[in-house]
Formats: sequence, C-alpha cells, structure tokens
Amino acid sequence: MSAVLELRGLSRRYGSVQALDELSFSVPSGEVVGFLGPNGAGKTTTMRAIFALTELDAGTILWNGAAIGEAEQRRFGYMPEERGLYPNMPVAEQLEYLGRLHGLSIPRARAATRQWLERLEITDRAHSKVEELSHGNQQRVQLAAALVHSPELLILDEPLAGLDPGGIETIGAVLVEQAKSGCGVLLSSHQLDLVENLCESVTIINQGRLVVAGRVDDLASAGHPRLAVRVEGDRDGAWVRGLAGVTVSEVAGGEVRLVLEDENDSPRVLDVAARAGRVTKFDFERRRLSEVFREALR
Amino acid sequence: MKGTYAIVLVAVVVLVRLALRRRRRRGPSGASTTHVTTSESAREGTHNVVALVCEREIRQRVRGRMFRAATVVILLGVGAAIVIPSLRHSHTPTERVGVVGTLGADSRARVAATAASLGVKLHVTSLATRAAATAALDAGTIDVAILNGDSLVVKNPLPPTSTSSATQFVRGVAVALGVARAQSAAGLSSRQIATLARATPLAITSVHAGKSGRAADPTSIVGVILIFIMLSQYLGWILVGVMEEKSSRIVEVLLSAVRPIQVVTGKVLGIGLVAFAQAGIILVWALILARIVGSNLIHGTAPWALASILVWLVLGYSFYCWIYAAAGSMVERQDQAQTLAFPLTLPLIFGYVISLTTASSGTAAGWFKVFAYIPFTAPFAMPTLVGLGEATWWQFSAAVAIDVVCTIALARGAAVVYRRAILRTGSRVKIRELRSHSH
Repeated sequence: MSAVLELRGLSRRYGSVQALDELSFSVPSGEVVGFLGPNGAGKTTTMRAIFALTELDAGTILWNGAAIGEAEQRRFGYMPEERGLYPNMPVAEQLEYLGRLHGLSIPRARAATRQWLERLEITDRAHSKVEELSHGNQQRVQLAAALVHSPELLILDEPLAGLDPGGIETIGAVLVEQAKSGCGVLLSSHQLDLVENLCESVTIINQGRLVVAGRVDDLASAGHPRLAVRVEGDRDGAWVRGLAGVTVSEVAGGEVRLVLEDENDSPRVLDVAARAGRVTKFDFERRRLSEVFREALR
Repeated sequence: MKGTYAIVLVAVVVLVRLALRRRRRRGPSGASTTHVTTSESAREGTHNVVALVCEREIRQRVRGRMFRAATVVILLGVGAAIVIPSLRHSHTPTERVGVVGTLGADSRARVAATAASLGVKLHVTSLATRAAATAALDAGTIDVAILNGDSLVVKNPLPPTSTSSATQFVRGVAVALGVARAQSAAGLSSRQIATLARATPLAITSVHAGKSGRAADPTSIVGVILIFIMLSQYLGWILVGVMEEKSSRIVEVLLSAVRPIQVVTGKVLGIGLVAFAQAGIILVWALILARIVGSNLIHGTAPWALASILVWLVLGYSFYCWIYAAAGSMVERQDQAQTLAFPLTLPLIFGYVISLTTASSGTAAGWFKVFAYIPFTAPFAMPTLVGLGEATWWQFSAAVAIDVVCTIALARGAAVVYRRAILRTGSRVKIRELRSHSH
C-alpha cells in the first residue's frame, strides 16, 4: 500500500480570523499535488500544521493511517514560504548539517550533499556562503535542504517563486523525479500554469475551506466548453460584448477565451467574430487551471 | 594550586574538543548510498540532536573573526594588566650603601629596616678607606657611605625640601644610627638595646566606634567584575544568536525536524562551552604569565574563593541563558533586541553594584546576604560572601540548590516562550500574546 498523507477536519483560529475551517484532503505518494488558494487562504498554516509548527484547534493529520510523530516528521522535507538558511554558513556544510539533523550519518550526509548540489547545478557554489548566492541559487540550496535526507514526503511552500525559466525547469524536473521515485509532493504556488504542467492533481482552498480537489485532467475536462478565438486587429475582445450565453474567461495577447453555456452556440460566435475581423484562431480547448481556480473562488 | 587550576582547565578544553572530534568521526562504516530508511532516520536520539546543534554553534562561534579578535584583545589586556605592574615593581629604587670600617649587626639591621620602611631595595658594599668611599660617591657607584658607623657622607648636600626616597633614606639612616649611638653611649647593655629595637607603636583607640570591617577583598572585587563582564558578553551572544536564527527564518527549517527545546538547548550549550573555553584560556594565560613575571596578582588568593567565582560564573550563565534565549525568540531585529536587552541587564547590574560595593567595603550587611540566595543576584553576591569569609558551606550549598531548582523551572518556561514566539514574525512579541497558543 502506498503511503498517504491525510488531513482530516483541520481547524485553526487566529483571534477573529478562521484560518482553517474543517479542512480535509490527502496527498498520496508518487504524486505532485498542487495546493492552491488566494493569499490568506490557509495554505501556509496547513503546511506548518503538518510539522506541528502551529497548534490546531481541531483535526488530525495522519501518515499511513497513524499520527505523525517526531520520527515521521524527520522523514519529511520542508521548504517554508519564507526561505530559511544560515546566511554566513557555507552551502555544503549547511546541507550536511541539515541532513544530519534529519538522522543521516556524516558520510551519508556528505554523499547526499554532493549528489544534490550536482543535480541542482550548484556544485561550484558548495563552499560559498549562502548570502553570497543569487536569489535563484539560494532557492536551489533551499530545495536541496528539503531533499538532502531523501524524504518520503515533500512539503514545499512556493518553491518556484522568483525563479528564472532555467531554475523553474530544473526544480520542476526534480519534483517530478521525486514523485516518480515514490515521494509524495505537496506544493503551493500562485503560478498556475506551472502547477498545471507539474501536478497530477490539485487542491484549492479558500478561507480555510476546501473548495475544489481533483485530478488536473478531470478538472480541465469538466465544466462548460472553452472556446479560444483570435480576431485580427482585436486586442480586448470588444466584439464579444452583448453576446448571449457567452462569458469571457480570459483576454490575453489578442486571444479571447470564452465559456459557452451550450457547445452548439459556436457557429453563432464564429459569425459574430467574422464580422469583427479576420478570424485566425477558433478552437475548443481544455479548461485551464487558472480558469478552474477563478471559477472555484467565485 | 595555581598549577592545578591550569591543568583542570586545559583538561576541560581538551576533553570538549576530543568529544566533538569523536562525534564528527562517528558514523556507520561502509555507508556509501544516500538512501535513507525509516530505522536509519530514527537512529539519532534526542541528545545527539542537541549535540549537533551545539557543535554547529561552537564551530560558527570559534570561526567568527569577531570572536577571535575579541579573544586576542582580552588576552593582550590581561597580559598587560599582569606584566606592566610587575615591570614597575621590578624598577623599585635601590639605595647603594658603602660601609667603611665596621658596622655592627644592630646598626645593619636598622639600615635595612629604614630601607624596608621606605619600600626601597638595599645594596651594601664594603669599602676599605674613606678615599675609596669618596671615589665611589664621585663615580656614582654608591649613594651614601657610612664611616665606622658614626658618620654619613653623600656626594652633594641634601636638598632641605626634598621628599625623594633617596633623601628620606639618608635622613632615616642618619636618625637610626644616631639613636643607636646614643643608646650605646648611655651604657645600655646589648640586651637592653635589642629590647628598645623591638619597640612597637602604642595602640590607638577612638572615642566613637568606626566601621570594623576588614580591608577590601581583592579576589571578590576581581571576581565580581569578571563575572559581570563575562555574563554580559555571553548572554548577549545568546540574545543575538537566537534573534538571528529567527530573522533568517532558518529556525522554521530546523523546527520541522527537531523540537524547539532541542534547538534552544543546543544553542545555549554551544555558546556556553565556547564562553567557558574562552574564560579558561584567559585564566590559564593569566596564571602562566603571573608565574613567569612573578606577579603577586593571584598570590594569597584562597582556592575556594577562586572556585566559588568559577562555580557562580557557570551557575549565573545557566540561569540567565534561558531568559536571554526566550527574549531572543521574541525579537527579530537588532533595534528590538537592544530595546529588550536593557531591562534584562538591570538585575545583572543590580547584583554587580551591590556586590562590588560590599566587596570594596570588606563587610557584608544583613540585607546583602539575602541577595546571595536569589538566583538573579546570587552569581555576584555569593562569591562576594565567600571571599569575605562570611558564607558557610551549607549556606553556599543552599544558594546553589535554590539556583539549580529555579534554573530548571526557568528553562521549562523559556522553552514554552521560545516555542510560541520563535515563528511569530513582524513586531516584537509581547508576553501577554504568548499566554494562549494564538500564534
């Protein structure tokens, strides 16, 4: 049986703010699960609760059906939202230290450090102090800190924030590798396109409550049909206004994404678009994760 | 005894280093893979985690340039404090006396006593004739010549208003030998003369009773100053160290793997070991220098007074370190730490001032003795009482017991504060905000 992280009925109140409100979901091993929600939705509180870094008013968190103790906690990897490393400590020494805190022997911590510095393409910075690194490289070191002890579960709060495309590609590939090797990965992010590419499933929360959870493919194919239309010379989709049974989902780069209440309305839409200018694109497409997110929070 | 202290301190430093090195070398043989199993992860126990945190703290502190520079500066300062007075002491003026003819034992003793009373060294040479004495005075090889015990010759007339030690010496010798000659001329027997030579001043009493305390106790004064300086420095390290872990956010990563009490214990232990190693090095350096230059700085110090200072330095650190660790967890900026540091320093300053005043006066008032049992002031007050000889072994033990019990209770409270405050960021955390778990 593959391992699974289960969060059941988590509740947490900060003064007058209900940060978590009977939140329940699970993270299976071997999958990258996107954890989405607007700012203040309760993502960081949830992630901290997994490591007992915040006390819960109610609810339980289980790993393989049992409560999480210190030993289990040390087999998880954590990348907090606010990055945390010793600024004056050399990179390799820091990773070895964190590996040893998670129970690795010295030789294993050294070997794992070498391995992850190589995999994350920062071997040449092994002896640099963290404060001397660029933001992107600090991010890589932070991820290495979460991975150095080969965790069974990875909890990553905004791991892709502030990275350049190269960094996103490297870290994204590492996360997928980890999932394929059997590790459960829960990552929060506001970069929905990236999450859509990386994750098999997503959990969306708002005001501490679960709003939507499911496989990305299922969520993408659910809901009303999406129609992507590009009309030459049109930048803001003005031609769609007033069209009954059609709502604008997104307008970006001269392309308008429309939600049709009825798929059979498409000829009527094409007719209106053609009257506005030369139609260069007219395709039915999957629902994007950004659309799933927006519609879930409405 | 001084050698014993040095050996003990060196042994402590060496043992700490060996323990750390052994721990660094430990690990399963043949480990070559990075795969971690459940049992392997759970292998390291609680005390090993504390040791790891402690070891990192020691390495980081010792590696720091500030620490090294501060240690060198302190060693230089201590060295100067020991060597310079000794050099000055070695330049005590010497009065060179040439003796022509015979000078009786009694007269020689009077000349020596005059030199001793003025704090000058005495060097006596025998000269064959008055001419030889005159030549020696002209050549400057002697300062005064005594001719057959009944007259003195100097190179130049003595200035009437001079108060120099050389002038006072010559006048003093003239008086002493004059008295001896008068006593001899009076027909007194040698026994009577000897009795007169042993004359002691009369006792002086006053109408009103004054303070009957002993002289100031130098060991206590130095000890109280050292405890204050060292505690202030080392506790500051804890405050800033905990604050830096909070502000760099590394603490959230640490606490995802280990318990707060393990982090904070490792930290105060590490800083404490570095601090006492530094103190030990300074003490050993001081003892070695004092022996080399023949300084009397440590001379006469009772071993138990010195031991008491060291014991209370450790106990004082053990007590206050938890307060400073908890305080450090409540702040994340330098200005916040400085604001918080001032009220924390007040009990230290209070204990320091009352103890220094008492040690200087040589008498401990009744109210002062009470403070020797209060953990906030005991690190200063109890060594002062010991130095003044006003603490019995059971009073000392009682103060230690009270301090240890309070330290344990304080550590528990500090761990709760640390756990609740360390992840709260933004403005300074207030104590009332920590009463509930609303973080």
